[in-house]
Amino acid sequence: MSKRPIILLLPGLLCDASIWEAQRAALAPFAEIRIADFSQFDSIEAMARSALALADEPLIAIGHSMGARVAMEMIRLAPERIEKLVLIDTGVDPRRDGEEAKRQVMIDLAYAEGMGALADRWLPPMLHEGRVEDQTLLAPLKAMVMRATPEQHHRQLQALLNRPNVRPHLPNIACPTLVMVGRQDRWSPLAQHEEMASLIPNAELVVIEESGHMSLLEQSEQVSRALLRFLGFENDETSADVAAGGEVNTMSENGSPDRIPDTPLFDRKRSLRGYRINKMAMGLGNPVNREAFRENESAYLDRFGLTPEEKEAVMTRNWREMVRLGGNLFFILKISAVDPVRITEIGAHQAGMEHADFLRDRLGKK
Amino acid sequence: MAKLIGGLGTSHVPSIGAALDKGLRDTPDWKPFFDGYIPGQEWVRENKPDVAVVIFNDHGNTFFLDKVPTFAVGCAEEYRPVDEGWGPRAIAPFKGAVDFSWHFIDTLIENRFDPMICQEIEVDHGLQVPMELFWGKPDEWPVKVVPIFVNVIQYPIPLPSRCYEMGRVLRQAIESYDSDERFVVLGTGGLSHQLQGARAGFVNPEADQAFLKDVADNPDKLANMSREQYVEMFGSEGAELMMWLVMRGAMDPDVVVRHKHYFVPASMTGAGMIVMENRAAVARIAAA
Repeated sequence: MSKRPIILLLPGLLCDASIWEAQRAALAPFAEIRIADFSQFDSIEAMARSALALADEPLIAIGHSMGARVAMEMIRLAPERIEKLVLIDTGVDPRRDGEEAKRQVMIDLAYAEGMGALADRWLPPMLHEGRVEDQTLLAPLKAMVMRATPEQHHRQLQALLNRPNVRPHLPNIACPTLVMVGRQDRWSPLAQHEEMASLIPNAELVVIEESGHMSLLEQSEQVSRALLRFLGFENDETSADVAAGGEVNTMSENGSPDRIPDTPLFDRKRSLRGYRINKMAMGLGNPVNREAFRENESAYLDRFGLTPEEKEAVMTRNWREMVRLGGNLFFILKISAVDPVRITEIGAHQAGMEHADFLRDRLGKK
Repeated sequence: MAKLIGGLGTSHVPSIGAALDKGLRDTPDWKPFFDGYIPGQEWVRENKPDVAVVIFNDHGNTFFLDKVPTFAVGCAEEYRPVDEGWGPRAIAPFKGAVDFSWHFIDTLIENRFDPMICQEIEVDHGLQVPMELFWGKPDEWPVKVVPIFVNVIQYPIPLPSRCYEMGRVLRQAIESYDSDERFVVLGTGGLSHQLQGARAGFVNPEADQAFLKDVADNPDKLANMSREQYVEMFGSEGAELMMWLVMRGAMDPDVVVRHKHYFVPASMTGAGMIVMENRAAVARIAAA
């Protein structure tokens, strides 16, 4: 490698560079590491702009929690600058109902009783349930929180409360993306990350075992190994470890090959990815729905919340694309009950062949 | 006690049902395929089974992805054809062997198989087509059925060896069932085919022929193959073939092949049929 890549580490709420200590050490032999400081900002966008200003070159953005939201904002602002993206223990949705009141309680607590009191209240739910009494973990985290001020806390919560809704942008993230989460993360749960990984076209998901929200510290080794492997900074040993311990999904469309060439197995990832399309198609087993599909296909598809991309694939009868988006042929075949097409034509389309050639060359028809 | 008189294997391609519905049986595309089943139909007429245990998979018609049982066993009075998108097919509803189904479920659980129990459930072409291929299209079915649904769509799908072991438990259930009824077991699905991805249209006639031989002579080899090997050798949907192992596991190690048939392509599939009897039973009949 001629030039060392630049990695930006983006910390979460009330976190500083210390939270990244293990990962910084693991990555430092392979890259130039810069750690962002978000203590002075009160919007996600301002944080993202400050992080982008830390380098002129293309970079690898690794964000934890709020830092991962900043990373997604960086992609929105400057997609060409981000070569690879890692999102850890985070979320994509905007403010929830009632969230503001709950956050205000914490803001008031920090001002009234200080950062120590805030740390005692805030930290335990962030950790694996079995480790909320573990002082080796709590002590450094509490010290970190106490280095922050009630004003910083207030600013960052303002930023979080006004966070953008990133969900609609996920399908536009083009760079290789690693989504990572502690299996016992109660704050931003696994299911949320499975969904993110399914919505980002070029994403893989790694689950960190025996970890809550503070995975960087709770399972620093697992996190570092997954990062090294994802970034290609590894030897064979580390890759075998991660393959055995983490959950690494592959899809040919995502740059890593199917285990059996050109053969998409309907695994967890595809099932999650294709749930909407397949549910829509399953509906066509009902004559009432077939009638609705015939009368106004677009409206019928909207009932199942299909994304614009999914909708276009269905409406243009793009079978290959439907399968790429997680459609399973047994479900989507029902579309051909409403709008007839032979299964061999669907096969030929996916194989990228003329129908007659497909019958002759693949199926051996004379 | 009830008796197992034969193990049948067959493809269950939906186009076979559609070809019958459209009256295409004797067209050049289909005649050689259907003619190959005539000996199988004769075997069924001569041997008069009372109950057919049918191992098959639902194809996103009865089960959606919200609930996916790895193994499910029907214990309903009646199984109606499900609407697969073209309206339910005009074939007689299948009559259930309710009492045996419950006995089978008991036996499974006692042997550490834990199936989903289905008292009301519809069946798709996976069960319909094999029944039509062996029994034609009667106004009323001359056999009762026991459907066993196997998930071969949503990964993780079960191990081939597990299907084989389930067959042994099925045999135990039949032979411990207090009745003089005659049972056949139908393993269905396959043979090689692939409907999805750029390898769609993959068929492997050589592997199919070898499978039809091995399923009789060397079933342990088939049971010890990985799921990935099935997909590689028979295509992503061809992995259905592992369901034949439930049927094979119910038979003795030593079997006699009565009839065998192979045809490619039926629609996009290598299609095959086999009729087997236990050699020991054949010898007993010969001696009597």
